Amino acid sequence: MAERWEKNHTLFLLIVGLLAWFVPGAGHFALGEKKRAIIIFVTIVATFCTGLYIGSVGVIDRVVAWWWYVAQIMNSPMVAVLGHFTAGGGYPAYGRPNEIGQIYTSIAGLLNLLCIVNAVYLAHLRGTETAGG
Amino acid sequence: MSIFYFLFSIYQISIVNSQLSITMATFTTPEKIGTTPASMLWLLPLAASITITYKATKLPTITARNFIKEVAMLFGSIVVFIIITALVLWALAWLITE
Repeated sequence: MAERWEKNHTLFLLIVGLLAWFVPGAGHFALGEKKRAIIIFVTIVATFCTGLYIGSVGVIDRVVAWWWYVAQIMNSPMVAVLGHFTAGGGYPAYGRPNEIGQIYTSIAGLLNLLCIVNAVYLAHLRGTETAGG
Repeated sequence: MSIFYFLFSIYQISIVNSQLSITMATFTTPEKIGTTPASMLWLLPLAASITITYKATKLPTITARNFIKEVAMLFGSIVVFIIITALVLWALAWLITE
């Protein structure tokens, strides 16, 4: 019984984590935290889009700026799709706008990582509370 | 009458398409931002974004008034700390170079 709960609980945490990664705020939304979910979604998407607006989609560069890309992909797997299109270097990104764009998109990704961890932690707490009583 | 509606819908689609093209074009070319002291102001929206997300994950309950108050306090302290750091660095640079 406990083993089954453990298995279901791990699966639940995994689903919440994946949801939170696929769409910023979706993990919290799945847990019924709608206000948090909306705030997280709007803030992270706005930050990411601002970064793209300032520096162009060329700031997502998985070849030249690999470490920035690792942080950017925390926003959503959709960033990998964008990265596929920008990999050839067809979109210009240079100078100060490139720096600002990279910082914005990467910070948005790291903020989403914080939200993923928070959503999984909340899900874990709720799971243990339910199991405990 | 149906031909009129058909032509009108094509006209609308072309307008939406051109608007979409303009919007997409702004995301494929970088903005013009020079390496000036004013470009440092771009850190303010980022600090606001960090503050909002952090407080959204940390507050036990979210009410509009409480959330805005907490965000304003944290954002203010971040900005004040940045200003103090900038002044200290500026003073150090001045001492070293003068």
